[in-house]
Amino acid sequence: MSERWVVRRLEDVGDFVDEERARWFPIRIELGIGAFGVNAWRATEAGQELIEEHDEVGGGAGRHEELYLVLSGRATFTVDGETVDAPAGKLVFVGDPTLKRAARAEEPSTTILVAGGKRGEAFSISPWERNSEGLRFFATQEYDRAVEFFERAHREDPSQAGVLYNLACAESLSGRVDDALGHLARAIELQPSFREAAQTDADLDSIRADARFPGSL
Amino acid sequence: MKGWQAASLAEIEDLPGPGTLRWTPVRRHFDVRAFGVNAYTAQEAGQDVVEEHSEQTLGHEELYVVVAGHARFTLDGEEVDAPAGTLVYIRDPTVRRAAVAQGAGTTVLALGGKPGEPYVVSGWEFWFAATAKGQAGDHDAAIAEIDAGFEHHPDHPMLFYQRACWEALAGRSEAALDDLGRAVELGGETFREWAGEDEDLDSIRADARFPG
Repeated sequence: MSERWVVRRLEDVGDFVDEERARWFPIRIELGIGAFGVNAWRATEAGQELIEEHDEVGGGAGRHEELYLVLSGRATFTVDGETVDAPAGKLVFVGDPTLKRAARAEEPSTTILVAGGKRGEAFSISPWERNSEGLRFFATQEYDRAVEFFERAHREDPSQAGVLYNLACAESLSGRVDDALGHLARAIELQPSFREAAQTDADLDSIRADARFPGSL
Repeated sequence: MKGWQAASLAEIEDLPGPGTLRWTPVRRHFDVRAFGVNAYTAQEAGQDVVEEHSEQTLGHEELYVVVAGHARFTLDGEEVDAPAGTLVYIRDPTVRRAAVAQGAGTTVLALGGKPGEPYVVSGWEFWFAATAKGQAGDHDAAIAEIDAGFEHHPDHPMLFYQRACWEALAGRSEAALDDLGRAVELGGETFREWAGEDEDLDSIRADARFPG
């Protein structure tokens, strides 16, 4: 990441393909940007969810201001219960991190660019994005690399329950039963909602029969 | 104030310059405070979409996204072809950068910020806006734009210098001399040299207080 500049076509950013979902272009990650968050999403078909409903104060969010720009196609945004028709060239700025926002594609190939950062603070990577980077190793079944990734993320910020949960999943999938059980217990301690998620998560199948597995309450 | 807003790029009032480009002040329109964001459009092929500059003073990283048309960037003398859909990320603030439209309507979105530091609204936004309004003949509006900049940068020598120029052009000699003195005090020799050659200041040059 020492190049003075990087030139890339959007098409060439990211190779994480999930047929069920919109394509994610992890621009910040691939270019190594440090001052703000920036990603793009492209729908594979009309009607697809492009920006899942979220606010910027939840567990995975960074309390960011967000600016969306429709690069191509046409989307419908819903912000704080209001809908906005958004053809190419439309900007939607959500400054209040507590507002719910979502977008759906009205045309195939609709592409949305989104930039974000937290007012008054130096940029830091949102937990969801940090996790997503590691989740790519699940898709390619490189579980050892996933473990390595989430161990590092955990060392950097031990308070992130999502990181611990993903670490437990990666360890479960790579046969590290004791580590997986320990990290899962810690994730649930920090964020109790992970207890229910753990009951049905296939990534944890290999440790569910263990007596130490946290059962449903 | 409502916690969100929407507008199309074409709905945001654009301003001329610098040079031949049109500036769509996206950050100002929405009052984005977490990063810098602007769009630049060329009406014809051959016009600028990024004026030649470096980010040495601000230390910003910049990401340019070619939103429409086709641009050609020059980065430290190296040419880069950039059709719509190209991302040009410049990590090193010392790189001299510029871009020229290859077709009418070429539009580039620029995002910027300094890693490791909270974003501060850039002073240049205020003097760019002042220049657009002042050159259209409204010196008072130009001065008001600079005044707004002082809310973010109370000791910015360039803001004092720019306000001195608009005040001199508006015939407010006393205010112009005060501001010019302050600009030289804060900014040093560079500002003294600029003042020596700047025609905008001709109306106050004969005054004994003019920095010689």
